Amino acid sequence: MAKEMIAMLLAGGQGSRLYALTQKLAKPAVPFGGKYRIIDFPLSNCVNSGIDTVGILTQYQPLVLNEYIGNGQPWDLDRLHGGVHVLPPYQQATGSDWYKGTANAIYQNISFIERYNPQYVIILSGDQICKQDYSDFLRFHKEKNAEFSVAVMEVPWDDASRFGLMVTDENDKITEFQEKPKNPKSNLASMGIYIFNWDILKRYLIEDEADPNSENDFGNNIIPNLLRDGRNMYAYHFNGYWKDVGTISSLWEANMEVLDPEHSGINLFDDKWKIYSRNSGMTGHRITADAVVENSMITDGCRVAGTVKHSILFAGVQVEPGAVVEDAVVMGGTIIKSGAVVQHCIVAENVVIGENAVVGAMPADGEKGVATIGSGVYIGDNAKVGPNAMVNNNVKGGEEQW
Amino acid sequence: MVNSNADALGIIFPNSYDSLVPELVSERLMASIPFASRYRMVDFILSSMVNCGIGNVSIIVRKNYHSLMDHLGSGREWDLTRKNGGLNIVPPFAEKSVAVYNGRVEALASILGFLRSQKEKYVVMSDADIAVNFDFNAMIDAHIKSGADVTVAYLEEEIPASALAAHPEDKNLYYTFDVEDGWVKGLKINPKDAGIQNFSMNIYIVGREFLIEQISNAYAHGYIYFERDILAPQLDTLKIRAFRFDGYVAQINDMKSYFDENMKLLKDENLDALFSSNPIYTKIRDDNPTRYIAGARAANIMAADGCVIEGDVENSVLFRGVKIAKGAKVKNCILMQDTVVEADACLEYVITDKNVTITSGKELKGTDSFPVFVAKHQKV
Repeated sequence: MAKEMIAMLLAGGQGSRLYALTQKLAKPAVPFGGKYRIIDFPLSNCVNSGIDTVGILTQYQPLVLNEYIGNGQPWDLDRLHGGVHVLPPYQQATGSDWYKGTANAIYQNISFIERYNPQYVIILSGDQICKQDYSDFLRFHKEKNAEFSVAVMEVPWDDASRFGLMVTDENDKITEFQEKPKNPKSNLASMGIYIFNWDILKRYLIEDEADPNSENDFGNNIIPNLLRDGRNMYAYHFNGYWKDVGTISSLWEANMEVLDPEHSGINLFDDKWKIYSRNSGMTGHRITADAVVENSMITDGCRVAGTVKHSILFAGVQVEPGAVVEDAVVMGGTIIKSGAVVQHCIVAENVVIGENAVVGAMPADGEKGVATIGSGVYIGDNAKVGPNAMVNNNVKGGEEQW
Repeated sequence: MVNSNADALGIIFPNSYDSLVPELVSERLMASIPFASRYRMVDFILSSMVNCGIGNVSIIVRKNYHSLMDHLGSGREWDLTRKNGGLNIVPPFAEKSVAVYNGRVEALASILGFLRSQKEKYVVMSDADIAVNFDFNAMIDAHIKSGADVTVAYLEEEIPASALAAHPEDKNLYYTFDVEDGWVKGLKINPKDAGIQNFSMNIYIVGREFLIEQISNAYAHGYIYFERDILAPQLDTLKIRAFRFDGYVAQINDMKSYFDENMKLLKDENLDALFSSNPIYTKIRDDNPTRYIAGARAANIMAADGCVIEGDVENSVLFRGVKIAKGAKVKNCILMQDTVVEADACLEYVITDKNVTITSGKELKGTDSFPVFVAKHQKV
């Protein structure tokens, strides 16, 4: 049974710029928005768009991600034919290879794709927060009679040189591709989301693999080769919310934007486009009589007895009496003991912040630091973690880390 | 068995005690009454069974069971989507000679064929009017060790006032036991005795073969009730063991107890007592986390996911997807799923059923002993 379009989700990124958060898990598995992980967004987009077959290409620290995906049931991707499949590199008769690049990851799974005999393949990225209807993207691709389409966002001209840019004519046909150019000719940034006709993609993957000088990368190799051959390439304009959460500050910022859906454009409260996730199975959260909760998001299993302002608490977070949490992203199972002050920071899962400890600080003028505590870390009583610190080891009581 | 699965199958009677809470069961049954912000009553016994390795559970429904079917689905959330065993919802069999069952004997008689074909040695039976994190393994172990024919679970407590008050004469409502040395020597039906009693939880363990024999026999005689018609007359000949349960129990006897038992969970020690030993599973709704918008005030509440709180809420239990608009005041209330409290409305001692809307500026007040109830889908 052929599928019209299947999705291949690149989830092998190490996310090294998230350092403390990605020591034990791949970037797509990083928690986001109170009860989600980053990968919930592309997976939910797939299901909501009618895509029922998704290959997830993993490579770096896949354990958490593998367990999280499981059989795909939370996303309704446990299907008889299709569904979600985690695809790590594997040993073949000719030997085994790590995925050398994004294109090579797909190349090594050509036989997976062929099982579904799709007309189109959409390539997705597992490190973006974005709600997008891929079926509308496909409609565009078909209307243009394209062989390759890429989703693009208009970015401010000043920022344009940080992105891969698509130069297009008046019909959105791509005429040139510029990778992080000094002198941008366009402000249409590639989102790293592509639709290919499968026969074209396959041909170029095989050609790319045969080139020993290739980096086996979509942006650096495949797209330039398509351009070289004058293929029908189009840019699909997306103007919803999109954020690459590859850095601590962008991850923090995106979480904060969730608290302000009216202005930020990222609305998780949309019944028509639900974001699915694996459930924590905890009881409803508790706010005690003396607690103060302002402008925050709180989920199952939380116990709040202190003050929580403009923050996101993930499942099972405890904030003891007298503790203050402000402008913070606090991930699942973390305990913030009484008198602790936790501000303008990201605290990963299962952290304990001791009594009267101080983590981060509200930024003074011009400062942007987001303190980060890695998962499982213990911050002792009266310890202090500075506003730019990235903490991956226990901090003893009374000690300071900047 | 290689694993820790219990050698028992479970049977739940989801309609027991429906008549005590007519308001709540007008469109559902006891087992699907929402409880503790994100659960339904059946979740507790069902999860307890699953947590004890009972992977073959039959729910013998009687009436009003659409909401329960919707809630349970294939049983996946309870890990009961199994090839062998799993969740088995038994509706009344539509046949001229078979009416809707009245007591346990008739209910069990309707699944005798099923019981004969199963392989588990023991049968665990329970109602769904209690929220409890029950250790069936401990009870099964005690049952096996004692060599009893039947083991019954009981609480040492006073008969709840609500049970004493509500009393249709033709119904067996509750039972107490005389216990000597761990054996049941007497069984009273609807007694009025004051003081601490051995109050039955209506949780039973019996051998499967034994149950089949007893039910076939009783059914042939036209008997209806397990306790009155099987246990009571055979107190001298059967070995009936009593198993005292000391854990946390929330029992729903009437609207007052429904209100009180929800409110009790606002105390952390009660919440921990009910939930800490083993997880309680429930249907997943994929709501977003609850959002407290600037200007909201929340004090002493329990809330599930999916709520949006802009107003003022105190001493209350909020189920999934409740919306409380700006200027609204909610105090001492239980608001079930998707209740909407519009701007400047004021609620005190109110229980709203699912999908209720309180329009802006309305004021609704009950009292501690008599909370106002607003039925499903009503707009006030």
